[in-house]
Amino acid sequence: MKEFEYLKPRDLNEALLFAREHGHRKRFLAGGTDLIVRLKDNLIREDYIIDIGEIEELRGIEKKNGEIHIGPITTHSEIIESEITKKYAPLLVEAVKTIGSPQIRNRGTIGGNICNASPAGDSIPALVVSEARFVVKSLNNERIIDIKDFFVGPGKTSLKQDEILYKIIIPEWKENEIGFFNKLGQRNAMSISIASVAVKLEREKDNKFKKAFVSFGAVSPVVNRATKCENLLTERELDSKDYIFEAANCALDEVNPITDVRATREYRREVSKYLLYESLLNLLGIGG
Amino acid sequence: MKTIKINFVLNGEEIIDEVPVNITLLDYLRDYLRLTGTKEGCGKGECGACTVIMNGRSVNSCMVLIPQVDGKNVLTIEGLSKNGITKIQKAFVEEGAIQCGFCTPGMVMSTYYLLSKNPHPNEEEIREGLSGNLCRCTGYKKIIEAVKRVSGGKK
Repeated sequence: MKEFEYLKPRDLNEALLFAREHGHRKRFLAGGTDLIVRLKDNLIREDYIIDIGEIEELRGIEKKNGEIHIGPITTHSEIIESEITKKYAPLLVEAVKTIGSPQIRNRGTIGGNICNASPAGDSIPALVVSEARFVVKSLNNERIIDIKDFFVGPGKTSLKQDEILYKIIIPEWKENEIGFFNKLGQRNAMSISIASVAVKLEREKDNKFKKAFVSFGAVSPVVNRATKCENLLTERELDSKDYIFEAANCALDEVNPITDVRATREYRREVSKYLLYESLLNLLGIGG
Repeated sequence: MKTIKINFVLNGEEIIDEVPVNITLLDYLRDYLRLTGTKEGCGKGECGACTVIMNGRSVNSCMVLIPQVDGKNVLTIEGLSKNGITKIQKAFVEEGAIQCGFCTPGMVMSTYYLLSKNPHPNEEEIREGLSGNLCRCTGYKKIIEAVKRVSGGKK
């Protein structure tokens, strides 16, 4: 494994001091499920590893003024088991359940999944359709970044070198909302998504929806909303398979995948469309 | 080489040591303490052969950096069977859930964790509970039977 300097700040303030001091030569360590593998493979350039994995100010799940606040070092398992997220962030729970294995979910953190900024990070489409906001802190500043402005490329975020992700905020799930997260990987556990999709629909009446949120994962450099699909999903009542297919077919205009060891570009495009189509039929109880 | 002082509880006993910062818990268990019950398979969290329990949670010890262990409580397969073979291991033997045996310590630790959270899992929950552990011999069927046996799901 690569040699590095290990720093363990006592609190958030000290973590931010270290972050400012070491700038681009530092990496934050939270759960380590991604970083430690990369340290072993000598893929990490940075010389300072700042362990934020036990800073209590960065952990926990709270319900506040109609929103759910999640600390970045909260593990996937903690999100799955929390009564708050189960009730008020069910889509995020559904997505996080598909990450890795029990062992990975016991160590891996939501903040790690976000800040690694992998287009295949499985929490990300769910956070995108939830219109998540991120509170980030530096020594002298605090700002809020909308999720649509947070990811700037594969593995790249708009976080500055001296900043840390401090809170993830999503609105509470409402009574008239339905949704799903669905992914295709190579095996059930431990698979990196070939393609994934998260959907949130806000019901107006029966199968007519006033708002639709659709986001595909692993099929674009940056996970975004698929606005063409969204527009079709609110335009009229979703009562026919043909119309839902037409909406899902818009996925082809929305995704821009790469070919890699897991799948080809063409396959990913087709999978995106059918993941959305079949999941929508399933969600709306329309026979397939 | 950068080193760090660590102090943690392993299988009920306190460990105080000074070790390089850039080794994993798995390296420490196997190469420093010669506790070789915990296996190294893939070394990247895919196979689960290195599974141990840390503060009540199953973890891949190949993905835990040794400084992260400071102050924690770790249970390995050696600690689990300190007072003789456990019910879980007995069920694995009785069901013939072992062929080469390399994955078995990890399977046993994952079963231990699963049952600590859910004492009577159904088959789907067992499969999910063991989804982070690969076995290249048994085809899993007998492993699942063993977990059913120990959790009372099988007469």
